[in-house]
Amino acid sequence: MGTMGLALPWRARITSVPRERGTRVEPSEHFVGGPNLAAVDERSEDAALAAACRSGDLRAYERLYTLHGARMKNLARNLLGNPSDAEDAVQETFLKVHRSIAGFRGQSSFVTWTYRILINTCYDARRSRLRKKEVANQDSEESPGIEPRAPGAHPTLRMALERALAKLTQHQRDVFLLYEVEGFRHSEIAGMLEMTETASKNTLFQAKKSLRQMLEPPRGSAAESR
Amino acid sequence: MNVTCSDRERIFEDGTPAEWAALEAHAASCPLCAEEVRAWKSLSVAAKELRDYSDSPSFWPRIERALAEEATKKAQRAGLRRWFSFLPSLSLTWQTALAGAFVLILTVSAGWVYFHRSIVDPNPDHQSLLKSSALREVESAETAYERAIDKLATEAKPQLDNPATPLLANYHEKLVVLDSAIADLRAQAGLNPSNAQLRYQLLAMYQEKQHTLEEVLEARQR
Repeated sequence: MGTMGLALPWRARITSVPRERGTRVEPSEHFVGGPNLAAVDERSEDAALAAACRSGDLRAYERLYTLHGARMKNLARNLLGNPSDAEDAVQETFLKVHRSIAGFRGQSSFVTWTYRILINTCYDARRSRLRKKEVANQDSEESPGIEPRAPGAHPTLRMALERALAKLTQHQRDVFLLYEVEGFRHSEIAGMLEMTETASKNTLFQAKKSLRQMLEPPRGSAAESR
Repeated sequence: MNVTCSDRERIFEDGTPAEWAALEAHAASCPLCAEEVRAWKSLSVAAKELRDYSDSPSFWPRIERALAEEATKKAQRAGLRRWFSFLPSLSLTWQTALAGAFVLILTVSAGWVYFHRSIVDPNPDHQSLLKSSALREVESAETAYERAIDKLATEAKPQLDNPATPLLANYHEKLVVLDSAIADLRAQAGLNPSNAQLRYQLLAMYQEKQHTLEEVLEARQR
């Protein structure tokens, strides 16, 4: 049974456990029933937060930070790769929200809109970092820098996962991070990444399939390799 | 609900809770599906390794400061917009006329400035202000010239202190006036060293002093 390659570090830790019950219950999105009171509360709080931010009340921004700051920073860190750039991106996101809240028309939830701004800010930061890196490489003849999170002789699960995530397409990585790490629903991810819910589900499936291949080759291919 | 191994991937992608339950029931008797379900779920558990929601106490104050600065800038921009707030109340014709008048005023002003400069200063080489290198040269030449005149003044001093004729007395008075004018001009040039006009006037005064001293010395020889 698969004890080869990257399967080892996490096989020791993980058993067949059910999904952690948090902000999202998989696959609760399929339930169709009576009015969901929690969802109604969530929507009204979201609208109230948007209205307070629109009025320029700094306490409303503090509330937004209290509710989502840590998650925003974590998402930015996973998208950008280091905490310093992540903090800059989150701060820039708050400023962009402040600048453009008057133009927010409520087509999506305020929080979804905020995360969309954050993700775009991270894309911009990543692009500008790549451009700077290219210029630096052109200017100097130095060898390319070592990946700051390159795995050592015994890669931890986190490092192995980060390395595997880096090999996914941008969309697969983003959907995986938003769904599996940050716990957003597919409907929310669809709003953030401007795709359909079905596309979000399919992208997640493809992402997990690729990760499974990279981190823990299926039994069939393991048997073949022997 | 009955599921088979072939349903596994579809359920992984978009299965309902009932389908998941049926898959897990199937996995209890199918080792391959049991392994796949375990591996699939372990990816979700592994993803939690990328979660770090630790708080950094200095982060919110930093964002708050940036927001406060942004709010101040926004208020300033709003203040500026208020200055032009009367514009929407005007009709489009008036707004166009106002904009046209503004452009006309700008064009006329720019033209006036351009032609005025051409008339006052037809020679582009003429400079009313000295550049630092030119200023250094002028000052060193001035110092040498001043020393030479001081030598002449020392030679003429005996005649001027005890003037034997009314002519020499007049020369003496003239030189006192010239020295006073030179002192004034030097004081002004000290305040505004790059002003070429002042330097020209100072040079004229020195030349006048030089001629006067030469005349005093000639008068002595006669």
